[in-house]
Amino acid sequence: MKKTVLYFGILGMLLFMNSACDKFLAVDPPYTQDAENFFQTAEDYERALTGAYDLLQGSFMSLWIGEIASDNSIAGGESVNDTQGLHQIDEMTHGGVNLDLRSLFRWNYAGLTRANYLLENKDKIDFVGKDVIVAEAKFLRAYYYFELVKFFGDVPLIIDKRIGIEEALALDRTPASEVYAQIETDLTEAAAVMSYTGLVKGHATKGAALSLLGKVYLYQNKFVDAASTFDQVIAEGGYSLIGDYSELFTAANENNTETVFDVEYSGLEGGGYGCYICLEGNAAPGFHGIRQYNGPVYGDGNSYNLPTQDLYDAFAATDPRRDLSILDLDAFIAAQPNAESISYAIGAGGHTGYYNNKYIKRIGEIGLPDNDLTSPVNYRVIRYADVLLMAAEAHYQKGNTGLAQQLVNQIRSRAGIQGINLSSIEDIYRERRFELSGEGHRFFDLVRTGQAASKIPGFQTGKHELFPIPQAEIDLAGGNWSQNPGY
Amino acid sequence: MNKLLLLFTVFSFGFSALSQDITIQGFVSNEKNETLPFVSVSVKGTNNGVRTDFDGNYSITVRDTAGLTLAYYFNGYVKQEILVGDQRNINVVLVSEIQDIDEIVVVGYGEVKTKELTGATSKVKGEDIEKMNLARMDQALQGQVSGVNISTNSGSPGGASNIRIRGLSTFGDNDPLILVDGVVYDSEGLNALNPSDIKSINVLKDATAGIYGVRAANGVIIVETKNGKINSKPKIQYNGYYGVQQTARRLDLLTAEEYAVIKNEAFAFGDQEMPFNNTALGVGTNWQDSIFVSSPVQSHNFSMTGGTEHTKYSIGLGYFTQDGIVGGDKSHFSRYNARLNLSTDITSKLKLNSVFLYSNELRNTLPESGIGSVLYNTINAFPNEPIRTPDGNYSYLEEVSDIINPVAQIENQYNWGWADKFVGKEEFVYSFNDHFTFTNRFNYNYAQTKGKVFSPLVWYGDGKYANTAVNADLESPLVEIADSIFLERGASVYEERASYIDLTFESFVNYDRVFDSVHRVKSTAGISVFQRKGESLNGTGFNIPNNSLDYADISANQAEGGFLNNVNSWEFNERLLSAFLRAEYGYKSKYFVSAILRRDGSSKFGGNSRYGLFPSGSAAWLMSEENFYNLDFIKYWKFRVSYGVSGNDQIANFAYRALLNGEGVYVFNDIITQGVAIGRPSNPDLKWETTRQFNLGMDLTAWRRVDFTTNFFVKNTFDLLFQPDVTAILGSYGAGGYPPIINAGDVSNQGFEFELGYRTLPGKDLFASVDLNFTTIRNKVTGVPSGVDFIPGASFSIGGGVATRFEEGYEIGYFIGHEMDGIFQNQEEIDNATVVQEGAQPGDIRFVDQNGDGVINFNDDSDRTYLGSAIPDFTMGFSLNLKYKGFDLSANLYAAVGQEIIRNYERQQPYANQLGYVINRWTGEGTSNEHPRLTTGSTRNTIFSSYFVEDGSFVRLRNAQFGYNIPKSILRKIKVEAVRVYVSANNLFTLTRYQGFDPDIGASNALSAGVDYGFYPQAKTFMGGVQITF
Repeated sequence: MKKTVLYFGILGMLLFMNSACDKFLAVDPPYTQDAENFFQTAEDYERALTGAYDLLQGSFMSLWIGEIASDNSIAGGESVNDTQGLHQIDEMTHGGVNLDLRSLFRWNYAGLTRANYLLENKDKIDFVGKDVIVAEAKFLRAYYYFELVKFFGDVPLIIDKRIGIEEALALDRTPASEVYAQIETDLTEAAAVMSYTGLVKGHATKGAALSLLGKVYLYQNKFVDAASTFDQVIAEGGYSLIGDYSELFTAANENNTETVFDVEYSGLEGGGYGCYICLEGNAAPGFHGIRQYNGPVYGDGNSYNLPTQDLYDAFAATDPRRDLSILDLDAFIAAQPNAESISYAIGAGGHTGYYNNKYIKRIGEIGLPDNDLTSPVNYRVIRYADVLLMAAEAHYQKGNTGLAQQLVNQIRSRAGIQGINLSSIEDIYRERRFELSGEGHRFFDLVRTGQAASKIPGFQTGKHELFPIPQAEIDLAGGNWSQNPGY
Repeated sequence: MNKLLLLFTVFSFGFSALSQDITIQGFVSNEKNETLPFVSVSVKGTNNGVRTDFDGNYSITVRDTAGLTLAYYFNGYVKQEILVGDQRNINVVLVSEIQDIDEIVVVGYGEVKTKELTGATSKVKGEDIEKMNLARMDQALQGQVSGVNISTNSGSPGGASNIRIRGLSTFGDNDPLILVDGVVYDSEGLNALNPSDIKSINVLKDATAGIYGVRAANGVIIVETKNGKINSKPKIQYNGYYGVQQTARRLDLLTAEEYAVIKNEAFAFGDQEMPFNNTALGVGTNWQDSIFVSSPVQSHNFSMTGGTEHTKYSIGLGYFTQDGIVGGDKSHFSRYNARLNLSTDITSKLKLNSVFLYSNELRNTLPESGIGSVLYNTINAFPNEPIRTPDGNYSYLEEVSDIINPVAQIENQYNWGWADKFVGKEEFVYSFNDHFTFTNRFNYNYAQTKGKVFSPLVWYGDGKYANTAVNADLESPLVEIADSIFLERGASVYEERASYIDLTFESFVNYDRVFDSVHRVKSTAGISVFQRKGESLNGTGFNIPNNSLDYADISANQAEGGFLNNVNSWEFNERLLSAFLRAEYGYKSKYFVSAILRRDGSSKFGGNSRYGLFPSGSAAWLMSEENFYNLDFIKYWKFRVSYGVSGNDQIANFAYRALLNGEGVYVFNDIITQGVAIGRPSNPDLKWETTRQFNLGMDLTAWRRVDFTTNFFVKNTFDLLFQPDVTAILGSYGAGGYPPIINAGDVSNQGFEFELGYRTLPGKDLFASVDLNFTTIRNKVTGVPSGVDFIPGASFSIGGGVATRFEEGYEIGYFIGHEMDGIFQNQEEIDNATVVQEGAQPGDIRFVDQNGDGVINFNDDSDRTYLGSAIPDFTMGFSLNLKYKGFDLSANLYAAVGQEIIRNYERQQPYANQLGYVINRWTGEGTSNEHPRLTTGSTRNTIFSSYFVEDGSFVRLRNAQFGYNIPKSILRKIKVEAVRVYVSANNLFTLTRYQGFDPDIGASNALSAGVDYGFYPQAKTFMGGVQITF
């Protein structure tokens, strides 16, 4: 009996003993770099910067929404269920539950969080070239915030730190003006350090930072600042329009003299539908492709983002940019020598007969399977033609009509059509549509210039200027954020 | 011995010749066909008696047989008396008198008699598992016990099942803890266990499983393997069967002619040109015929058991092989097993129990259950396309994107997985005295796995996702590794080697003593130390020569400079440190109480909440032992109650830490450049899920023939280990990023279950037993994380939104969508409807306006409603055993009733083939109110609605078997003790209204259960087998 008591005693002690156990149970993940012991070398900074660039590759979503929400195109696709969120945006029936808007919200926050992670640790070590890395991180943060503020207006502003769940619940939406101020600061600081040339292809340049800054001014109707910023890019940047408009959107002709900032893609890594943001390829060209197409020049795709008759008709028949921007498929097929053998299918998500001819899957630009997801074609975020048109707009608004007209006519002359005399700002707006249709700018141009209600069926003034904050995000942030007006 | 017998017989004859004596002989065996030595055989009312010899033979001499009765008696068996009459050769089968309630049940770290159990458990005998002739224990367990719902993940050879004890209690891992002779087995690893090696399975269902603490919340299954018997001569057995399997069902798909007619109509409705000028295309290709094959299954098991005075042993050898009904040997499972169970008394006080299990398995798999799976392709491939084009190549099925030729797909699939597994235990039991034992045991579970996937260059047609070549000439894609430097990828081989080792050391004392002959005190106290380590090295080699299987090995790769080849590895380490106490008290075999306390420390959690304390208590009252009790026909009547807390720690290792395992990849200089990113944010407060369970039960035995057990339980799980959505502003939704794992959400399961058994009393020629078990569980999500309305589950169709959810107030994974209310028959009906349904045309589905606002809203939840769930209302198992003389007949039925299945294997594309039901589609007013019109144009008929939800209830004859025992008299001549031959069939019939291949659809993810993507069905199998005992 005594023995029994002894054994139970020992076991009882074991049961509630702690210190030895802690050591046994504190297992570290083997051979793994932790988030807290990072930023030990210059290379660590470079790798973190690469991670922050990664989220740019979600650009296809901005492109789609920027076009589909506007009068330029319809959602298309296999059925009305196929990316439902885009169909709702197309019909201006979108609300707080929209997976595509939510993706966009998430991706841009992920991007700026990665930039913040680097900037949070910017003072850990010193090395030559760190200032450029920090500048690029600021550029990226500004880029992501600009996307957010452009789509959603007021968004919580988080700077130079990561936050935890508790802290997230306490944050409110920051007024758009403050977000814009931060974007301007970041871009100004970045531009001061960056250079125009001599960079590894894919990195943001001084020209990219300044052009984005100019655009940010323009979106706030700060025409004076915008004009001077664009003037600086035009004067210092060494950019020029390339001769042939038809060469602008090919993979082979990327990073030319007109390139101000591209999102870089590669066709060399496969991908799956489960995670669009994991892709290294551009999803837009494949998705814009012709459904089950069997014929020359183009590859087959998912018939997304189809240009409208309205857009097609807006062009003068003499403007070569019409057919370079919009593929009239039946006309194209009819012109082929073996027209009868060419086939394609129509998606139940809508059909206009037109396809986006800038970002479209072409034979010769096909990535690895599944090649709907793996196009190597870069997304042109800002090209010099856009800079010239934005400069023209800023100068016109400032009253400098002559310079504005000269800038617009640079664009028209490259396109191979006659120059115009500017009679109103509308002429510049129209020129933007001709030059930049299919590139994701149209909706935001219509909104910032006050034309949206007259051009977009179903557009309600005072509501549709901004997209709704995804309802789930409001709930997950503690339910205290106000929704955008009208939603 | 035989000579002696002969001599004896001769003598007897001699004697009888003189005095007219009569010799009666025969042999005695038990129900299991084991011969019984030393059985007393006596003439009733006299002292004349003999004993059976070592082989169970006896011979007794009597004077006269008139009115003579022989009595057969052996300790532990029911005494049998037989009126001799004219019989001279009497073989007797004695029936064990040990009743079920005296059987020993293994509970955690100890044993207890069924009679004294305070917890809710269910026991299954090894023979009931073995009889099913299935590859895996979990498959065989389906329908055998109440409270345990088993659904099939895949009917392919080696496919796993889901074991759900008392419902789904979490969003994450619902698998129970499975212990084989005390060694932790995960349900994935059950492929290694030979069902023929199992002696018994005991399922701990209620809070008394809490002795296993942080791993017990999903219940515990204790498997014991076969062992020997002290003082028994070696018994050698062979069991084998061979069977042929085929698909139990084919879908009713359109023939080419039907297809052409229907597609023409659909295109016309869509304002498109009709694709078929000529619809007289006949039957066309039957793709199902091309992929379903009749394939073999066979199993061979040898065993030897026995024992000497101090040692008992059981040795087993097994071989099992099975090809799939889809793809034949491309979908294959085979296994070799070896087993040794040995118990020996080292000294009079020290005993060694040793178990060693070895298995070697091979599994080949095809893509299953999902878009891109062989069966999904088969269903959607259209019948007017030949399997091969006239030039001999496989057809491309180009009109439907994402659908590839399933025959070509099977041919190009090369997938192997091997595993070698060593599982064992060395257990030392030291008895200080009669009351007090000290057990130390060391368990190991070592698995070495190897996988290989060969991906040849293949071409399935333009734009197909599965292409690995760039064109039909099988040219290789080129990869740019640096500016303008291109390398050929070629065919590739992926290989993986991984090893896992679990080591457990357990030390505990058991104390058992009766004081004053009424107070029984039992206690168990001990510690357990567990460690699991895993590591893997894997790699891919490119440019395999000649695109040939002959060189399908990394060693043969010809990747230039090895630039494309890549390697990867991982390693993990997890630990569990536990202590446990159990105290039991019994008074006069009437009242029993038991209390358990377990403390676990788990390396899965951070320093803030690493340790958990899990208490539980239970009690039982044997009413039938009370003095006042006087019901004669119910000799045994017991009530039980239990309540306790257990945990679930089944999440990934290091989930509480933030790691740089995100994906931060960008393209610089046209080269894919690797960066870093945080994968999942940290959560240092992460802890286990907690389950609190209450159980009220009753057991009784009536008329010695009827056993009845019933339980009512309430099982509430809190702090679910969850990875719900978090706010985007945490920034965790980049590539390779995911939300942190947190504790949130609650689930409740309430249920009622019973088991009813009837068996005839022993000693009759006809033995019959009937068992019925019944389970009903109400599953409900009672809490979701704050700010989260629901957790989305499986999606419907392609990009069709989420069809299943985890949402408060509903079952886990319930289906939500629009409800169908017939078909709009004409334009008037649409125009006059009180509810506006945008875009509706005659022939379209009319949806129900759930919120009554007069508009069908397709963009939010306001008109979506509950459409069912994959959780059955109740499940039932029924088994029947009949034995008459040498014949036996058995049948096992399983029924699951009240669950729904989402028909999600139809590719909604203009040219995809369709099921035969579309023949009854709407074609004009009054033609159909069930199936909408077909159109290639814009329609909402294809959104997720009740139209795609089917009743998944089914009743299945899981196994039917008819056997015959060859008479001993014949066998003795060939010196064989027993031979049973039988024919058997699995899944002979299934009664269901479900249209798909198989209604028994499970998924390890609770939110994808009941979504049918073209499920790999269970085979219908016809088998013949033999069991020989030497």
